Amino acid sequence: MFGRLSNGLDIAIQKAVEKARDNNFFEAGTTGRGVYPFINLFEKEGDLVLAAELPGVKKEDLILEVREDVLRLAGTRRIEYGQDCSCHRLERKGLNFDRSLKLPFRIEGGGILAEFKNGLLTVVLPRAEADKPKKIVIN
Amino acid sequence: MAENTIAAKTEVQDLQKKEHKEERTVAGRFFIPQTDIVENKESLIVTMDLPGVKKEDLRIKLENNILEIDGRIDYSPYEKLNPVYTEYNIGNYARSFTVSHAVDTRNIEAVLNDGVLTLTLLKTPEAEPREIRVQ
Repeated sequence: MFGRLSNGLDIAIQKAVEKARDNNFFEAGTTGRGVYPFINLFEKEGDLVLAAELPGVKKEDLILEVREDVLRLAGTRRIEYGQDCSCHRLERKGLNFDRSLKLPFRIEGGGILAEFKNGLLTVVLPRAEADKPKKIVIN
Repeated sequence: MAENTIAAKTEVQDLQKKEHKEERTVAGRFFIPQTDIVENKESLIVTMDLPGVKKEDLRIKLENNILEIDGRIDYSPYEKLNPVYTEYNIGNYARSFTVSHAVDTRNIEAVLNDGVLTLTLLKTPEAEPREIRVQ
């Protein structure tokens, strides 16, 4: 089930991760490396699909906004243990995050589909009709 | 001298064997999930980030005091998607821990919620602190 497909896919993603280092898709800005959460953007039939891993974040603590071609993803990740707990190992981090991304085109606000399942956020961002390239018939 | 060389070789082989044990035959990447371990009076709580893992794709095994967590992710939503900008890679998760005798191995509770696995390992009564009276 995970055989050939996964193999090809993670190689493709790894290649894209490496390429992204010298790619200024979102233009040079303060949001470089070391941001939270990490996001992946995919293209599907002309639309964008955003994926972000947000394990342990509650749906009600997550804010997702779109204005024209800017997407904002903000929220709080809470990690709490009782007062009586002593820690052996703390690798997970609780934090507030707020990230804005400039997308390469305007988004049709009404057509956005967001799903948050198993700590994985998936957002389908359809390209605005007005922003789609017009095909010109050459006489 | 010769004996020493043999001893050293077996050591290396043992090490190799140990390393090979960790090697996986499943295709795809494996990540070590970020984990918190905290302890309170009656239990040890292991919390682990496993984003994208469904309940049915998570296997937790306890054998010879080694607790193994193996979470597989479903690659099918990524089919027909073309990465244009990426910051993280996706893959399966695996991590193992050695559980001490202080834990009641028959009584481990596992809850998967919002991509976070919480394992509650109850301590055995013998492991609880006791006061010893001086005679």
